[in-house]
Amino acid sequence: MTSASPAAAGAPRSRTRSGGGRHDLRRFLLRRLGTGVVLLIGITLVAFVVTHLVPGDPVAANLGQSAIGDPAAVAAFRHQYGLDQPVPVQYLRYLWDVLQGNLGISEQSHRPVLADLEEYVPATVELALFAIVTSLVIGVGLGIVAAAFRDRWPDQVIRVVSLGGVSMPVFYLALLAFYLLFFRLGWLPGGGRLDPTQVAPTHLTGLYTVDALVHGQWELLWSAIRHLVLPGLVLAVYTIGMLTRFTRASMLEIMGNDYVRAARLKGLPEHVVILRHVLRPALISVITVAGLAFANLLSGTVLVENIFAWPGVGQYAYHSAVNLDLPAIMGVSLFIALVYIVLNLVVDLLYGVIDPRIRLS
Amino acid sequence: MRLSRWAAAGAVAALAAGVAACGSSGSSGTSAASGSASGGTLVVETSFVLKTLDPGRMFETTGLMIDRVLYDTLLTYKGSNVSKPVPDLATSFTASADAKTFTFTLRKGVKFANGDPVTASDVVFSLMRTKNIDGNPSFLMAGITATAPNSGTVVLTSATPNTAIPAIVTNPALGIVDAKAVTADGGTDSAKAASADKAEAKLNAVSEGSGPYTLTSFSTTSQVVLTANPDYWGGKPKYSEIVIRNVEPSVQKLDVLRGESQIAVDLSPTQAAGMSGVQIVNGASPNLFFVLSNDSKKVSTVTSNPDFQTAVRDGINYPSLVQLAGTGSVQAAGIIPTMFLGSLSAGQGASYNPAKAKAALAASGLGHPTVTMSYPSDLAVNGISFGDLAARVQQELAQVGITVKLQGQSVEVALAGYRAGTEEMGLWYWGPDYPDPSDYLNFMPGELVGLRAGWVKGSDPTLEALAAKAAVTTQDAARKALYQQIQESMNTSGPFVPLIQPAQLLVGASSVKNLQSNALWLVNLGELG
Repeated sequence: MTSASPAAAGAPRSRTRSGGGRHDLRRFLLRRLGTGVVLLIGITLVAFVVTHLVPGDPVAANLGQSAIGDPAAVAAFRHQYGLDQPVPVQYLRYLWDVLQGNLGISEQSHRPVLADLEEYVPATVELALFAIVTSLVIGVGLGIVAAAFRDRWPDQVIRVVSLGGVSMPVFYLALLAFYLLFFRLGWLPGGGRLDPTQVAPTHLTGLYTVDALVHGQWELLWSAIRHLVLPGLVLAVYTIGMLTRFTRASMLEIMGNDYVRAARLKGLPEHVVILRHVLRPALISVITVAGLAFANLLSGTVLVENIFAWPGVGQYAYHSAVNLDLPAIMGVSLFIALVYIVLNLVVDLLYGVIDPRIRLS
Repeated sequence: MRLSRWAAAGAVAALAAGVAACGSSGSSGTSAASGSASGGTLVVETSFVLKTLDPGRMFETTGLMIDRVLYDTLLTYKGSNVSKPVPDLATSFTASADAKTFTFTLRKGVKFANGDPVTASDVVFSLMRTKNIDGNPSFLMAGITATAPNSGTVVLTSATPNTAIPAIVTNPALGIVDAKAVTADGGTDSAKAASADKAEAKLNAVSEGSGPYTLTSFSTTSQVVLTANPDYWGGKPKYSEIVIRNVEPSVQKLDVLRGESQIAVDLSPTQAAGMSGVQIVNGASPNLFFVLSNDSKKVSTVTSNPDFQTAVRDGINYPSLVQLAGTGSVQAAGIIPTMFLGSLSAGQGASYNPAKAKAALAASGLGHPTVTMSYPSDLAVNGISFGDLAARVQQELAQVGITVKLQGQSVEVALAGYRAGTEEMGLWYWGPDYPDPSDYLNFMPGELVGLRAGWVKGSDPTLEALAAKAAVTTQDAARKALYQQIQESMNTSGPFVPLIQPAQLLVGASSVKNLQSNALWLVNLGELG
């Protein structure tokens, strides 16, 4: 886990800049890699146990009302998905398969879970990237303004707006935005990643904007961007509110420091004081929050994806859960765990970039 | 803090970024409706219940709608009429007197979309593959064997009398695939097909049928695209392309109103109320809600009491339930839905009679009993929430002296108790496996659903004798009379109380012609004019 404090995040401070720096980095990365692997195994175990503790039978969830009465169909289903084995054997077999890059076959799509994730993850990544970039630009910007105008009307307006952002239920906001911006005003397209008649751009990354750009498919690029805006903004609203409040609070805390007063007394222009002496240290905690927010965006898009017919991992996770699709549930759990592990690592590494005093130990 | 120019610029930039994100798209206007004006592309929106399009494995609502236009079947139904099968790949059929042998004569000159001719061996391969895969639809072929005495004739032989065979073969799960192509893709109809058949992935990429459309792209969560089969034997389809998108019902409504889609499949009567500028095809769904009072004394001495069962039957205010379900829904007069052969007419169902219900309860000697009714709280069928329906039943039975404790559970948990036959009372629904009254023999004592209500064999010998006779009767008039007799008996005694058939609505753009609701596949997209 990452915490707001770099020290608590396990990312401070080696003794010297030179000498062991490169070795420190390597050791740090190896340690985090090892921790990550243990975490992933732990998560598979927890997910496996929990999904088996849930009352309900995957056979009942996946076979129809008549097929369930057919012993041959039930036996075939159990055999196909390994459910005829003892639970510990199922788990060990799953782990062994995962080590070989096989996440199993989804009981709902009847395809390899890895193939499903390869199809759905890029859609969610594209949406989450749009949302996090929008959130950072708007949220940090508003946070700076709010801090600069502390307790004056711009601050008060921004505080009210950001409170609204973090308080508004996402499903309500999504329906409202859909109704107003698509249905009433017609400014933005409705659901999906492209217009229904358009064919996806030639596959490269699975991110339609990137793929269309690389292949010069401008009409598709424009369509992909327009389809991103509505769900992306709805998804971003909470993060904007959170980053605004966090940026403001961090900056106000730093503004009270003696060195900031000294900078002002030296006659430095206000924007230099804010930008160089306040914002930069404040960004450390903002980055922590942004990292977690991005992970949340990647793993918490179920409602937005459902309302905007966005074929991402959120919808896949939802369908997996309601169908007790164990291989898919495990695959999604692994994906989300991986997202958090990688993003925490990235955030920790970014501390050193933002603040040179912080080094890896 | 003083206002600096830099801070002002920052504020403007931050707000501008947000506005630009909206405005850049806002200026472009709405995307063009998908060809509704040209008639080239039809966009259909539904909330996907879709796992596969392989006919041998498919048995989900959305899959039935799609496979219907990818694959032909021996017989089919036209429009919304599901009371009598009509020719499709088979031009005619004959049934033996013992209802064990059905002989189908195939249409001549039909070709698959890939150009291969459709032969009797393709039919045999397709049906036996579905049977031997041991998948969801395999039960359709239980006890049935397909053979081809010559290239234009297929014979289905059932081990036991099976009057439902003409209705069964209309199911898109028994769609006819190109045996040669599917075999090349790893498919097999052998007895070991459950493990040996590997054709599903290919059939989810390329359809190997002879229907009016072919598969262009497939996703279980976003959309399925179909392209017209220009060589379809039944004439060129109206739309060159059909896009079926996975969309939530509330969004379906806005999309169809705005012209983003041309057909919305899943709107509830409440959602459809007040819509204008579109056509609303209003029909009753074949899904049938019912209450069961467990007949087993081991499970409950209360619900197994015949007088208690009568009190429940008379104590439910059916018009109130119909009102709750909305326009287009109807009271289920019997256990067989209104559109099937043998259904009872509207006035023949149970009627609300609280005085009679109270009298029956008094006769039961149970006083004012308390019972537990289980239902799937996270499930809605045709827009009707089980929770809402359960609360209404609870409210009405309270008025006749029965206290119902509601036990809402996730569908998976509730199903376990239902299937095990351990629920004291249950609120469930039955969707037809095939549109034939024989499917409802499952409700008889000792049969699949009967046992779930603790109704064991021998509980009602007269009724069971009627059911046994109905199972082997092939003449429609005689069958109709028998099934009506069965339901009339069930409306006076027994553990089941049919409640309602909810509305099944189709909302379409006015440009869509011949839009008809079908009990099996929701809408036949190949019939649209």
